[in-house]
Amino acid sequence: MSTVVIKSVGIDIGTSTSKFMMSELTLGRVSSHFSLPQFDIIERKVTYVSEIIATPLKNEEEIDLPSLVSWLEKEYQQVGLTLSDIKSGAVIITGETAIKKNADALIHYLAERSGDFVVAIAGASLEAVLAGKGSGAARHSQSSRAAIANIDIGGGTANVVVFQQGKVLETITFHVGGRLIEINSLGEVLRVSPSLKPWLCFKKFRVEKGMRLSLTELIEITSGLCGDLLDVLAGEKTISSLENLVHSTSCQGLPRIQEVMVSGGVGRLALEAPPATLADVAKFNDIGPLLASELMKAVKRYHFNVVEAAQTSSATVIGAGTQTTKLSGATISIQPELLPLRNIPVVKAALSEMDFEQQMEQAFLKGKEWFVGNDRLPFAIGLGGTLYLSYLMLKEIAGSIGNLYAKYFPSAEVLAVVCENDMAKALGQALRLQTKFQVICIDQIGIEHGDYIDIGAPLKDELVPVVVKTLAFS
Amino acid sequence: MKEKQIELIVQKVMEQLQAKFPTENRADPIDKGLIFTEKDWETSIPKPAFQEGVADLITSTPARIGVWRTGTRPLTKTMLKLQFDHAAAIDAVGGEVLENYLEEFALFTVETCYENKEVYLKRPDKGRVLTDAAVQTITERCHNRPQVQIVVSDGLSACAVETNLKDVYPALLDSLQLNNLTCGTPFFVKGGRVACMDHIGEILEPEVLVLLIGERPGLVSASSMSAYMCYRPRKGIVESDRNVISNIHPLGTPPVEAGAHIGTVLQKMLEQKASGVKLEL
Repeated sequence: MSTVVIKSVGIDIGTSTSKFMMSELTLGRVSSHFSLPQFDIIERKVTYVSEIIATPLKNEEEIDLPSLVSWLEKEYQQVGLTLSDIKSGAVIITGETAIKKNADALIHYLAERSGDFVVAIAGASLEAVLAGKGSGAARHSQSSRAAIANIDIGGGTANVVVFQQGKVLETITFHVGGRLIEINSLGEVLRVSPSLKPWLCFKKFRVEKGMRLSLTELIEITSGLCGDLLDVLAGEKTISSLENLVHSTSCQGLPRIQEVMVSGGVGRLALEAPPATLADVAKFNDIGPLLASELMKAVKRYHFNVVEAAQTSSATVIGAGTQTTKLSGATISIQPELLPLRNIPVVKAALSEMDFEQQMEQAFLKGKEWFVGNDRLPFAIGLGGTLYLSYLMLKEIAGSIGNLYAKYFPSAEVLAVVCENDMAKALGQALRLQTKFQVICIDQIGIEHGDYIDIGAPLKDELVPVVVKTLAFS
Repeated sequence: MKEKQIELIVQKVMEQLQAKFPTENRADPIDKGLIFTEKDWETSIPKPAFQEGVADLITSTPARIGVWRTGTRPLTKTMLKLQFDHAAAIDAVGGEVLENYLEEFALFTVETCYENKEVYLKRPDKGRVLTDAAVQTITERCHNRPQVQIVVSDGLSACAVETNLKDVYPALLDSLQLNNLTCGTPFFVKGGRVACMDHIGEILEPEVLVLLIGERPGLVSASSMSAYMCYRPRKGIVESDRNVISNIHPLGTPPVEAGAHIGTVLQKMLEQKASGVKLEL
């Protein structure tokens, strides 16, 4: 009893390739029948993974939207899906593609045409985490004492996430990818990605369009890339000393890493025989195969124990399809007709006995400054803190929120609150009784200031899917 | 006369003490380290081979794990804490809910046939039946055939009521209001067992009844409360006909959230005209 199965899709638009997957997420009650209801995703089953296609591009900087959409429609048709079947999922635009011209338009276009609650996400750090979950690194870390780094190398970037005991420790992304240098079978350089140029310059490699490179020269470049990347992971070089290779990072120093897993397109190539000739290297008109073989060669020089990935090139799309959706607590306070809500910015305040109203007022002022445009629902209020909430405090908090909201946002109609602790039903009730707003109050969702949140239509009477987007497109 | 004398003596002693220890020295006993807090009770494995793993296990349960040992036995601190918690549990069973605490919620008190605590513990059946006086009182004072009847009882933990009622009860009233449910005349049952719901149901015939009752204290919490709910309670009701939300206390199921959820459960009982395992939640 009490299980619900929802269909969730993942769409990964990468620098060089795109993929689509479908999965079934089983929601089940995880609390005893003597407690308040509590649901979680208890099974994630991948039911379909598409062929990998080359991402259709109009020119170097623009995605060919119509052909991408028609590919997607065909895929949907093939698995017999209609948009209304899909209850969750994510479109992720990865690597360099995300900085290309029309990514913003694309991501929203797809989000609206790929299903009821399919959200658009992007950001190197999130991508790293999803790839690590999709590749099997997160699961592996749960049964191992070691910290494991999942290195997901695609066309444009290498996204690294470090897990321990199933938890994310840090993420770091490098400008290391198979498609950063495009070549033909004669070794002629067809294109060099601008993101690689600073590092090439720093290393005194001269690589320019039209030049011809020998296999030895290409090996020197790719092994240099892999060596620098692994040096950072092994702690032999600092992150700051390699600024020109690091795209972004969550930390200044990585924790000690004992194991590595390699996923992504380059991860898949690493399973194949190393290229012997220039023609082998240029199989895809880029340095991908060579980067893969050099990485596997280089990693042997370090103390890392290499763990085989369960998924390589599909790791990110599987992660996006199965891991982006979270569930709210099952005792919440919502008005179903107001859902789904998309891309709601969040301002955060911590529950405290002393100066809650003051804190809330400051958060509201910041929100008023930052988020203008949606008068009906300017932003959602995130409530953190581990304070025990008595009924008296609950009423006070509801009163403060209600008064301040009415004062600063006179034209607002909907009040959305996202709590970390299990308190949303009680708080929602208090808000309904004390204010004139329509109330959406959900809980058990960790959220930070500046995050964006999507809240889906209810899956059961009082259970909504939620996606928190830490780095979203504006 | 004797009482007056004692009072005088106490007053004198207090004055002398005050003279001896001027105000600035009478700091909070917690600041002076005289009262043990949870932190002081903590013990841990000195050099765990797998720190993260141990920490994960400890946070997953309130049970006493990873507390270390001396030889094959627990540390003195662990033993003392166990005895301390056991004593708190015994106190909770033996305690009584103060009359003026109940007045805050406008609850009057009636009794079951439990006679005294000793009999109450030995004869659970007696806690399931109201006294004749109680039957008469509630017949006279309570609204008959209400939609929702709320009853509060000390059960096996008086301090559960004192700790949680102030948060559960008003949140419950709010949830009734928002679910458009009307409530009869609430009261307190002294010496109650869960099945006293059936006897009350026979007398007042509510559509649904919710009983907020102190739970059997454990070594983790002595002030835990349960909310038992039943559709048309009456003689012959079996356990599987009741629903419960248990473990309501500040470190367990949050009291305000539990109170808020009760209204939803009652609403479903009324819609489906059922409770217990037959109720689709």
